[in-house]
Amino acid sequence: MKKGIVLFVVLCLLVPTLLFSAGKKESDQITIAFCFQDLETEFWVAGHKAITESLRENGIRVIEKNANEDANRQLEQVKDVITQGVDGIIIIPQDGESAVTIAKTANAAGVPIGIFNRPPSDKSAKNLVVVANNEVIAEAAVEHMAQEAMKLGRKVYPAIMVGDLGDPNAVGRRQGFMNVMAKYPELWAAPPVEIPTKWDANVALANLQSAMQANPKIDFLFTSSDFLFPVIKSVLAPLNKWVKINNPNHVILGGLDGDVTAAQLLEEGYLDATGVQNLFYEADVMLEAMLAAIKAGDKTPDKWMDDPGFALTQANLATRAEEMWGWVLYKEKK
Amino acid sequence: MKQTLRPANLAKRILMSEYFVLYLTIVYLIVLTPIIPRLWHPMNIQNVLSNMWPLLVVAIGQTFVLILAGIDLSQTSVMAMSSVVGAVVMTSSADPVLFTKSPLWGTLLTDQGGLMASSPFALPVGIAVMLAVGLAIGFLNGFSVAIFRMPPFIVTLVSMMLFSAMAIFLTKSENIRHLPDSYLQISKTTFSVVSGSLVIAIVLAVIAHMVLTRTLFGKRLYAVGINTTASQISGVPTRKTIIAAYMVSGLCAAIAAILYSSRLEMGRPTLGSTLFIDIVGANIIGGISLAGGKGKVTWTIFGVFFFIILANSLNMLNLSFYIIDMVKGSVILVAALLDVARNRIRKAQM
Amino acid sequence: MAEVVFAYKNITKRFFGVHALNNVSFELERGKILGLVGENGAGKSTLMNILGGVLQPDEGEMFLSGEPYVPESPLDATCAGIEFIHQELNLFTNLSVAENISISSFPCIRRTPFIHRRAMQDSSRKLLQSLNLDISPNILVENLSPGERQLVEIAKALSTNADILLFDEPTTSLTANETENLFAIMRRLRDEGKSIIYISHILSDVQELVDDIVVLRDGQVMGGGPIADFPIHRMINLMVGREIDNVFPDRIPSIKDRVILSCEHVSETGMVRDINLSVREGEIVGMFGLMGSGRTEFARMLFGIDPYKEGSIVVDGEPLPKHNPQESIKRGLAFITENRREEGLLMDYPILENIGLVSLPDYSAAVTRLVDSKRLFKRADEVASSLRLKCNDLKNQKVKSLSGGNQQKVVIGKWLLKDPSLLIMDEPTRGIDVGAKYEVYLIMERLASEGTGILFISSEIEELMAMCDRIVVWSQGEVMREFRREDFSQERIMRIAFRQDIDYDMEEKVVVNGNE
Repeated sequence: MKKGIVLFVVLCLLVPTLLFSAGKKESDQITIAFCFQDLETEFWVAGHKAITESLRENGIRVIEKNANEDANRQLEQVKDVITQGVDGIIIIPQDGESAVTIAKTANAAGVPIGIFNRPPSDKSAKNLVVVANNEVIAEAAVEHMAQEAMKLGRKVYPAIMVGDLGDPNAVGRRQGFMNVMAKYPELWAAPPVEIPTKWDANVALANLQSAMQANPKIDFLFTSSDFLFPVIKSVLAPLNKWVKINNPNHVILGGLDGDVTAAQLLEEGYLDATGVQNLFYEADVMLEAMLAAIKAGDKTPDKWMDDPGFALTQANLATRAEEMWGWVLYKEKK
Repeated sequence: MKQTLRPANLAKRILMSEYFVLYLTIVYLIVLTPIIPRLWHPMNIQNVLSNMWPLLVVAIGQTFVLILAGIDLSQTSVMAMSSVVGAVVMTSSADPVLFTKSPLWGTLLTDQGGLMASSPFALPVGIAVMLAVGLAIGFLNGFSVAIFRMPPFIVTLVSMMLFSAMAIFLTKSENIRHLPDSYLQISKTTFSVVSGSLVIAIVLAVIAHMVLTRTLFGKRLYAVGINTTASQISGVPTRKTIIAAYMVSGLCAAIAAILYSSRLEMGRPTLGSTLFIDIVGANIIGGISLAGGKGKVTWTIFGVFFFIILANSLNMLNLSFYIIDMVKGSVILVAALLDVARNRIRKAQM
Repeated sequence: MAEVVFAYKNITKRFFGVHALNNVSFELERGKILGLVGENGAGKSTLMNILGGVLQPDEGEMFLSGEPYVPESPLDATCAGIEFIHQELNLFTNLSVAENISISSFPCIRRTPFIHRRAMQDSSRKLLQSLNLDISPNILVENLSPGERQLVEIAKALSTNADILLFDEPTTSLTANETENLFAIMRRLRDEGKSIIYISHILSDVQELVDDIVVLRDGQVMGGGPIADFPIHRMINLMVGREIDNVFPDRIPSIKDRVILSCEHVSETGMVRDINLSVREGEIVGMFGLMGSGRTEFARMLFGIDPYKEGSIVVDGEPLPKHNPQESIKRGLAFITENRREEGLLMDYPILENIGLVSLPDYSAAVTRLVDSKRLFKRADEVASSLRLKCNDLKNQKVKSLSGGNQQKVVIGKWLLKDPSLLIMDEPTRGIDVGAKYEVYLIMERLASEGTGILFISSEIEELMAMCDRIVVWSQGEVMREFRREDFSQERIMRIAFRQDIDYDMEEKVVVNGNE
């Protein structure tokens, strides 16, 4: 009986192996895997849409994998798609460190890999990277906020909602904010309050509430991501601080991403400035580089591409609003 | 008593067999073969195996606690904690920009790396520290359950929260890279499927099997799991047994942390945070009862094997990511239902 | 000719080809109490499960008031007016008495889903009064004594206007008074026209209570008829299929001088007070008392399961540490608890695992702790055959599948592997049949003759008087008196246990102690 079982198992394992180990490729259509970490904010949903749509428009077969914010799972998924014989992989990594490990895996398998919007933490792996220059964009937005603050003719109390510092984007944005802090030392009544958010709305809500309680005078607030505006509103509104720009209670407000909420707040006059990443541009650039590498047979393309971005403020709203992806979506919705 | 092989009888015998889950996996593989030709590609086999070893290790640890009619929710936090602590010991450099805010900065962690940075003993010391972390957290869990008679669910829930938060606190949520090459080598494959992970997992499984079936501790573990009072009266040191089981669970989680973090090439404060469902799911599919007193290492192996094959095949089928977790959940549910059905049949046969 | 309420006709039931019931037929008449006796495994439970719709017979029919009766589920039985009162009480201890009584059909306020509490309490109160039970319907069941719970169970059965009542060992956990009260109620129910089936191992009770009797053995009816025709010795003969002249083996006292156990001034608040007790090599010391008199509590302290405040326990001349069963086992103590299922056995596990549990350390290697299964099996097999354990397969057969008597032998066997010097047996013959009881007595006799000291706790005074060298009588946490074998008197022991004549006996007690 036991021998029978063993024999049966061995047969079951062997026969299909022999039959299919040749593993032939089905068609000439290019297949690209898109592995993203999650779709937790509007920004990533828009990014996901931008990439999948431009891939499909180009007649490319897309395989999508969601890692649910687990780097380990993302690594397994990337290995799976490599096995499926995809021609290229685009990932939105969970953080800069895991991006390196995953890119090295793809390098070893000889599959071109592109990393979207979150740069790897070092350059030891070969990959296509397209990333917004977070530091410059954040600095531009905060600069506008500082100019507004100067008009008040008094010192202000600054605060920043910091992202997950495992994410290089969050580090860059914080640095941009700090650059402006250093530039106008006489403008600040106190050193900036740093409010951790871990890129999580609930964490952000709790920490912002306690920060506002400890420092009720805060009147200059920069959030490292636009998706936190609803959180900010729910904290400031009960304090009578969620008011339009010319109201004396107004907290000078800035963000980064350029999403639909930011667009609406800019139009309604609650928001002073937001840094904009040009998502559509980033998707196009990534795709172009990827297709070029596939056509050229380059298995380990290595190129770093910058999205310069810009800050959309109340000052340049009239002229540059159309360049912001969130504005376009906002107008479409309307 | 010879039973005829009528189809109904055969079906019942297969359902009641210890190897039921294995048969199921094989049937599943046969059905999938024409649909996913790449299933048998050597590289996919390599993927399946490399995904399987660490999960198997941590699931075996959970089996020990499940046999006791307990549960260990804190395994994921053991993994996070020991991967972070081990990495802090072994890393050869740390970026000041990221780590200056860490409470370890300047003492245990500098830009020159950790305590054992670049020392030839980095690997053994690092691994020893990781295992010690697992044993220590396991001891805390076991002690609270055995001595204070607190419910395992609460105890391990609290230590899950506590230690995963501590792992994040120690590193300020940063990942620690630059681990020694010898450490990364553990999960690298040679000869197509052979890897350090494979050796570790198989050796651990064999030892665990021996411990459960052949040793004093194993026999006592089952006895305590099925009837604590009777065991106590029969002179079984129930408290020690309970503490030991939770320590085994912690130890296995720490070993799994070695395999996972070596594969990811970093110590991660969020390592394994989403893994709990997989661990318990694999055990349940294998037929290990949450009510205690029942379970074998072979069942855990079958359960893990099925679970990994399932996840792999769902990936290969390119199902929508919305569907994958729904399918996984349904499979666990079906496994639990099958267990109920098997118990009913067994009772009816008595 | 009285009206037949219920009849079994040629009922046969097989499990795996083995007859559990073979062509069983008998009738229950209206307004009668029918006793059903037989050894464990004789088929009583199977018969009752068939009546209750839990099992279906392979052959044969049942008739209810002349109509064919084919129950497919327990619900069918309830609808047909058949109610069970089980040995293990099926009450919800976290609910009130009234809620328990009305659990199967709560009265509702008109058509709303709200429970009509007043109606529920009133009907419960009426039922309780009819059973002479003076408790409030609102009290929680967990606050009731076992006897009161038994009566609540009966009230619950009566609430559905059942016609046929079935009592399965209802007196196991009752005191003598409670038993008397229960019997009175059963007689009254009978006189009101209910029909009752009564299952019990206590043959004297059966004789006192029932009108008719049916004796089962190995799934067959061995005899039946009016109780007057069945004196106890005839019942026993039919049940065991052989003449048992003596229910107890002959005792040849074999007391040696060496004192194995001596306890001095052992006290624990609310449990026991100032207990002094000793056991010698080869001596059987009985402990008699009512439920809650402190016997079991003392045994648990002695063995180290529960702690005690004052006093000392000395084993073989050296003090025994408190609250440490493992140490007690090392020092040669063994404890057969009163609850086999809960405290003695791993019911779902094979016999071997159970027999080996205590002595596992003796069979495991020093460093690796690997268990030497072969050596263990050999020894377990020896012990099993010396106990005449009836089983097919030590390694694979689950304890659950054994009869009560054989389960008890497994518990005894588990301790014999350790060769204990002092064996504490708490109600070792409870719930096992006559034949098995006799075998347990034989084992005790053999162990004592080999030098084991035995502390024998029992509520059956006859077996204590037959087996013990000395009897210690307990009441309310105290040792009231000791009797030596030559002074044994059932009446006096009972009186002392009920604290009937303490003052009257005081002088004598001093004398007895002086003789020690």
